[in-house]
Amino acid sequence: MKAIKGVLLTCDSAVKQILLTMNEKESFIIEDLDDYHVVIKADEEWRVRRELEAELEKNTYSLE
Amino acid sequence: MPSKRAAEDSADWASSSKRSRRTRDDDDYVNVDVDDDLHDAPSPPDSSLIPRGATIKFSALTRKLAETQIPKDGVEDGDLDVHHRQQDKLVSHMFQDQDFSWLHLKPDHASRPLWISPEDGHIILEAFSPIAEQAQDFLVAISEPVSRPAFIHEYKLTSYSLYAAVSVGLQTEDIIEVLNRLSKVPVPESIVRFIRERTLSYGKVKLVLKHNKYYVESSHPETLQVLLKDKVIREARVHSQPTDNSIKAATFTTSKAPVKGNLVIPGTKETDKKKDDAAGKGSANASATDAELFTSVVGVEGDEVDEDDDNVHAFEIDDGKIDDVKKRCNELEYPMLEEYDFRNDTINANLDIDLKPSTVIRPYQETSLSKMFGNGRARSGIIVLPCGAGKTLVGITAACTIKKSCLVLCTSSVSVMQWKQQFQQWSNVTDRQIAVFTADQKEKFAGDSGIVISTYSMVANTHNRSHESKKMMEFLTSREWGFILLDEVHVVPAAMFRRVVTTIKAHSKLGLTATLVREDDKIADLNYMIGPKLYEANWMDLAAKGHIANVQCAEVWCPMTPEFYREYLREQSRKRMLLYCMNPRKFQACQFLIKYHEDRGDKIIVFSDNVFALEAYAKKLGKLYIHGGTGQVERMRILQWFQHSPDVNTIFLSKVGDTSIDLPEATCLIQISSHFGSRRQEAQRLGRILRAKRRNDEGFNAFFYSLVSNDTQEMFYSTKRQQFLIDQGYAFKVITHLDGLENLPDLVYKSRDEQIELLSSVLLANESEADLGTDVRAGEGDLAGTITSKDFGMPSKFPAVQRTSGSLTALSGAQHMSYVEQNKSANKKLAREQAPRHKLFAKRDKDVATARKEAKAAARS
Repeated sequence: MKAIKGVLLTCDSAVKQILLTMNEKESFIIEDLDDYHVVIKADEEWRVRRELEAELEKNTYSLE
Repeated sequence: MPSKRAAEDSADWASSSKRSRRTRDDDDYVNVDVDDDLHDAPSPPDSSLIPRGATIKFSALTRKLAETQIPKDGVEDGDLDVHHRQQDKLVSHMFQDQDFSWLHLKPDHASRPLWISPEDGHIILEAFSPIAEQAQDFLVAISEPVSRPAFIHEYKLTSYSLYAAVSVGLQTEDIIEVLNRLSKVPVPESIVRFIRERTLSYGKVKLVLKHNKYYVESSHPETLQVLLKDKVIREARVHSQPTDNSIKAATFTTSKAPVKGNLVIPGTKETDKKKDDAAGKGSANASATDAELFTSVVGVEGDEVDEDDDNVHAFEIDDGKIDDVKKRCNELEYPMLEEYDFRNDTINANLDIDLKPSTVIRPYQETSLSKMFGNGRARSGIIVLPCGAGKTLVGITAACTIKKSCLVLCTSSVSVMQWKQQFQQWSNVTDRQIAVFTADQKEKFAGDSGIVISTYSMVANTHNRSHESKKMMEFLTSREWGFILLDEVHVVPAAMFRRVVTTIKAHSKLGLTATLVREDDKIADLNYMIGPKLYEANWMDLAAKGHIANVQCAEVWCPMTPEFYREYLREQSRKRMLLYCMNPRKFQACQFLIKYHEDRGDKIIVFSDNVFALEAYAKKLGKLYIHGGTGQVERMRILQWFQHSPDVNTIFLSKVGDTSIDLPEATCLIQISSHFGSRRQEAQRLGRILRAKRRNDEGFNAFFYSLVSNDTQEMFYSTKRQQFLIDQGYAFKVITHLDGLENLPDLVYKSRDEQIELLSSVLLANESEADLGTDVRAGEGDLAGTITSKDFGMPSKFPAVQRTSGSLTALSGAQHMSYVEQNKSANKKLAREQAPRHKLFAKRDKDVATARKEAKAAARS
């Protein structure tokens, strides 16, 4: 059996939903534990972080 | 010149004597040195020519400054100094161009409250300084406020603000003098140049209507010469006598400068004083205080001295060519001030109206009017007052002062009725003198003079009109109006304004608004078409004095439940809005806040732009609600219960609350669906609904909550809103967690199942339900942008026709269930009892019904 390197992500429920939607485009979630924890592939971690930040940026208003 | 830091290597900062010696060599700026002024002669004795209030008492000012000055010893901390300089060098590269640390600080800079940025004319004011209040008065007169929270204010010097300053009578040198006095560093050269350039050209030329002829007036004959050299103006000039080429005839008519003299604005304190003492000027001479130092430059009485006491020169111009002349003067950089000498206007009929003796004018209203009537004539311009501060009363008082025919323009037909009602309430105008011109009603007033109230669209409309409207428009354009009152000028588009201004001939124009900044930045046009800003009130000041509510604004962040959030992310259409509105946590927060405030005894209004959400919330929480679909009778009943009954403390309102006539007063406003982008509409709502209830304890007496769902689009607009409210001076805070929310008994949507049920009902809702303000339709003649987000919207399209077959039970959906209404509308409970209707109306309704029945019966037979 192949062993996959995974990373445990702890987050709040809203961010988890964002991750689930992102997952539908390119899967990186190995296991969905509960409302606050998710295990993802270790290689994807950095990319996932970046995309998550981009998503959250959309909601913030910065003063020009 | 402010010396660069490098040149000061040898000098010690802390050693004041050395510095003052050096600065005496620099002769370019007025540096108030403490030593010098103590030897000043005492203030000149009171002479009858110059009223006492007009003199600036240098010695008193510097004495006051000296008292608050931090004593500087000769001991300097050499190491600390070097350290500071090193630090500054490290930091300065971050600021690049904007590193102004090389500016010379005056030795007593700690007691001066201003700092002016040499680059863009921004002025930072320390609002905690002891002379901050007078400084504020001065700054409001010469610059535009940008942001005014509690401790540090920011103002901006612009051409328009200087233009406004000059039009109320301030002189260039005085402005620069006072700025120097108040500023920590000497006023930079670029700013001085800017001020000189702008003020010297503005305000020199006035367009005056005297004895029904238009004159171009100025106290500087050279200016008039320059103007006459221009072809357009020369052609417009009317020579009243046969031209005579001698030098004498080529001079202009001269006359005495206008003086405020005996003009009394009705309702102000002066009317009382007039009864006591003969001279109108007597009211100015209170005991000399430091306040007068500044009011002398800024204040009303000073106007008489600041304007030339010498003669003014004028030449007459042709009536028809006025617009061309105005445009030409603008281009030549001599924009004309417009003033209306209404006291000497003999041809226009007088309108005999006055304020009712019971009407009381508040001090800030009085100040704003005195800026308008400063020298006995009516200046055209704009007055900015916050919502709920009594703008209508200011307009009515102005009309009662001018006492000529008046035209009032509003944004919607509802406001028209409001204005009419206010006129009748505050002044003694009779029904015959007041007329309304809207799509439904077209009246004319009886007699030679009167008041007409109408909307911008009715007047500026270029489309085909009905015959009635055409006749009415002819009536409006054929006569001369003494006064035109423009309500909510920030909403009206510039093109519409231009049409109004060119078709209606009015002698003086007053614009009223709560915010002068427009979304489309057409503010420039307003200045030329109506006039400069005469007065702008300080919201915080008004709140502190109890005229408007002291509001605590808070944003409550409600996290989204995971299921809702997932649907929100999936959904890209307008339904998103519905999803974050119907967030169960929002329901909970709303419930919590309502309970909390009801326990305190507050009256609460919950506001929602979206009707679907409104009904859902009201039904779930068991409260009464009013939206566009609610009948008139029901509305009245609900409002009455809200105002008088201790049982009903919360109602839910939709956008009808913005425009309905009878707005209840509340002390707490909760907003569950925020309006994108239109912060001004929010602020307006705030002002209208929240009235200050006088409470003995200090602090806030009104609350505004905006419920926002976390991590959604709402957050974006919430930050925008925060900025705006902070600039206005509202105290703002964010509540991320409501303490005790979980322990609330009967908390709605506590269980997951309930939440999922709610989610499914939301998903089933029509996409059109997500729109804002669908229940209020703009009437004909209402201005776009004032009523709904989609004005003149098409009624929602019915779903396409479908064909199915089945038993009737199945088709009506009753096949598998029995129908039980769970969330009874609280409205219906009230409906069980008979509405308390007045006999007269009940009888009238009965009569109408019987008449209709008879008519039907007669038609049939």
